[in-house]
Amino acid sequence: MKNCLGIINLSEVDSPFGLLSQNRPTSMLPFAGRYRVIDFMLSNMVNSGINTIGVFTGNKVRSVMDHLGSGSPWDLDRKINGLFLFTPTYDYTTINSKVGDIDLFFQNKSFIKNAKQENILMSKTYMLANIDLNAAYEDFIASGADISIVYKKVNDPMNRFIGCDKINFDARGEFESIGTNLGMEENFNLSLEMYFVKKAVYFDMLFDSIEKGNANYMKQAVLNSLSKYKVRTYEFDGYVACINNLRNYFDANMAILNPEISNELFFKHGQIFTKAKDEPSTHYQKNARIKNSFVANGCQIDGYVENSIIFRGVNIAKGCIVRNSILMQKTHVDQNVHLNYVILDKRTTVNQGVTLIGDPSLPYIGGKKAVISKEGKS
Amino acid sequence: MKEGKMIAMLLAGGQGSRLKLLTKEVAKPAVPFGGKYRIIDFPLSNCSNSNIFDVGILTQYKPYHLNSHIGIGSAWDLDRRSGGVRILPPHTDEQGGRWYKGTANAIYENISFIDELDPQYVLILSGDHIYKMDYSSMLDFHKAKKADITISVIEVPWEETSRFGILNTDADQFITEFEEKPKHAKSNLASMGIYIFDWKSLRSYLIADEKNPNSENDFGKNIIPQMKHDGKRTYAYKFEGYWKDVGTVKSYWEANMDLLSEDNALDLYDASWKIYTKNKHLPPQYIGSEASVVNSMVNEGCNVEGSIENSILFNEILIKKGAKVFNSVILSGVTISEDCEIHNAVIMEDVTVKPGTVIGKPDSEFVYLVSKNKIIESE
Repeated sequence: MKNCLGIINLSEVDSPFGLLSQNRPTSMLPFAGRYRVIDFMLSNMVNSGINTIGVFTGNKVRSVMDHLGSGSPWDLDRKINGLFLFTPTYDYTTINSKVGDIDLFFQNKSFIKNAKQENILMSKTYMLANIDLNAAYEDFIASGADISIVYKKVNDPMNRFIGCDKINFDARGEFESIGTNLGMEENFNLSLEMYFVKKAVYFDMLFDSIEKGNANYMKQAVLNSLSKYKVRTYEFDGYVACINNLRNYFDANMAILNPEISNELFFKHGQIFTKAKDEPSTHYQKNARIKNSFVANGCQIDGYVENSIIFRGVNIAKGCIVRNSILMQKTHVDQNVHLNYVILDKRTTVNQGVTLIGDPSLPYIGGKKAVISKEGKS
Repeated sequence: MKEGKMIAMLLAGGQGSRLKLLTKEVAKPAVPFGGKYRIIDFPLSNCSNSNIFDVGILTQYKPYHLNSHIGIGSAWDLDRRSGGVRILPPHTDEQGGRWYKGTANAIYENISFIDELDPQYVLILSGDHIYKMDYSSMLDFHKAKKADITISVIEVPWEETSRFGILNTDADQFITEFEEKPKHAKSNLASMGIYIFDWKSLRSYLIADEKNPNSENDFGKNIIPQMKHDGKRTYAYKFEGYWKDVGTVKSYWEANMDLLSEDNALDLYDASWKIYTKNKHLPPQYIGSEASVVNSMVNEGCNVEGSIENSILFNEILIKKGAKVFNSVILSGVTISEDCEIHNAVIMEDVTVKPGTVIGKPDSEFVYLVSKNKIIESE
C-alpha cells in the first residue's frame, strides 16, 4: 500500500461520553486496559503497509499530541514519510470561517498535493476493528473505481448503530446512496467510514464543496458528491465495535472479556500498538481474587475483581469489591470500596469505604483526577 | 579531556555457567528476570536514570539475543544524537583478532573508543546484578574524596563473606585492605563489581597490566591490588538497598521470589526509578472465570484459567483449567496444560507442559529447571 496515503480525521461534531470526553476527542478514549481508540486505526494502517499518515487532530489537541508524539510506537517516526499532525490554526483565513473541518483540509491541501501517493484512505477512528486494509485497497485498485467504501452487514436488533452511516444498494445490488440509520431495519449495511479515494477525486470534492459552500465537514463534501463518481463498496466481515456513545463504549470494553473477540481485535491481521509506559508486571497480592477480568501491567491488586477492565498502574486495596467496572490508568481504590458498573477516569482516587453503583445502561463516571470519599469528606 | 564527564563500560560477556540451561542460548545479562525484564535492564536503566548517556557494552558469549534486545538503546532512552549505547564485541586489528581475556583486558581492547569520548571518569559495571542505584551519587562521593578509584560495596551476611571480594575500610571509607574470598573476614563489606576510575590513571594501569604476562587481566585480581600497592587513593562507597548476584539456578529462583515478599526492597513500582525494557506490544492479561491468582506477578499477553500461587509469569503464558502452579518462575511462551501440578520450578521459554504432568514437590529443597526435553534438579 505504498501508493496510498492515510488520513485520520479526529474532528467531530459531538462526543457524547459525558465527563470522559470533556478534554479528549472520542479517538483518545482509553480502551481495553492499555489502548486508545485511535490505536486500532493507526495500527491497521501501519500493519497494512501505509507509511505516510496525516492526522487531523480536531480541537482537543493536547491529549492527541501527548499520545501520538513522534509516532514511534507505530514506527511512524521516520525520516522519509511517517506521521504528520494537522492542528486547527487561527489566522486571517479562519476569522470568518464556519464551523466544521473542511477549512482545515483546504489549508493543508499541500500535504496531500505534495505526497507521492496517488490514492488516499480517509478514515475515522470510532469503528474499532482489526482489518486487513490491504485487501480492501487491492479490491479498490483492481476495480478502477473512484471511491470505495468499507462496510459491514450488521444485524442490529438492539439499535446499537443509531445515527451511524448506512449504505443503500439498488435492486441490482449496486451502490445507491449513504444515509443515516434510524433503526427502521434490523439488518442493514453499516458504513465503517473508511473511504479509499483517488487523489484527483479528493481535490475535486474538496474544491467543489468549498466553491459551492455546501459543506462544513469533509464528510459532507464526500457524501454530496458521491453521485458524480464511480463508487464501489467493500464488505468487511470481522468484528466491529462502534464507539459512538457511552453505552456502546462500556459494552465494547466488556466485550473484550470474550477471548474470541479479544483474539480477533488484538491479533487477527497484526498487533495493535500504543504508547509504552514501562510498567512492571501486575502483582496480585495475598488477598486478591480475580474472576473474568482483563488486567494491564503495573497494577497492585489485593481485593476482589470480577468482570472488569483494569488499566495500567491501578491500585486496588484489601477488602474492595470491584465488579463490572472500568478502572483507567493510575486509579487508586482504597480499602473496603465497593464498585459496580463504574467507570473511573485516569488518576481518580476512591477513598476508604465508598460505595458507587451505576447501571449497565448508565455507568457511574468518576471524572479525571477526582477524589471520591464517603459523605463528601476528603 | 571533557571536565566532569563520566561514561559507563558494561561488562556483558560472561556465560554464567552455573545457571545451566538458562544460559545455554544467551549470555547471563540476557537471562529473563522479574516477569518482564532481562538482567541487563537493571544496570542500563540505572545508567539512564543517573543521566549517564554514554554506555559501552562489552559482549562476547552468545551475543545474539543480547544484541537484538539492546538494539540502538531506545528502550532506555539511550538512542542519542550525541552519545548513546554502543555494543563493543571483540575485534581484529593489525596484530590479528583476540578474545577478551579478562575484565580489564576487555576495557584495554577498547582504549581507543574511550579516548575518543574523552571522559574524565569511567564507570565499570557488570551486567550480572539486580539492583537500583544512582551512579551519580557515587560519582559525587568519588569527587568529594578526591579518589583515584571508588568501589561500591554492600554489607553481606557474615556467613557469606567467603563468597565475595571483601574490603576493609577505615572510618573515612578509605580502603585499607582487599581480600578475595577470605575464610575469616574482618569486615562484611563486599565489592559489588562497580568501580569509578579516573580515566587517565586507569588507562596507564591497563597498558602496564597488559604487558605483564602473569596477569589475569582482571580488575579485582590485578588492577585494583596494583593501584592499592602503588598508594593510589582507593575508597569504598557504601550502597544500601537490594542487590543480588544471581549466580545459580536456586539463587535465580530466589531472587524472583523476593519480588513477591511483602518486605521486598526492590520496588519495581517506584515511578521515580523505573526499570525499562524492550516493549513487546502485547494486550493485557486475561484472568478467567475459574482462575485463582494469589500473590503472583503476571505480565501482558497471559491467559490464566487455572490457579497460580507465589509465582512469576512472564508474557504470553497459558495456564489451562485445572492446572496448579506454586512457587514457580515461568518464562514467556509457556503453556501449562490441564490438571498439571507444578512446584518450585523454573520453566524455560516456549515449553509446553503436557496435561496431568506433576513437576516438583511441595516444601522441596530443590528447584526444578524445566526445558523442552529435560528437567534438572538444582540445590
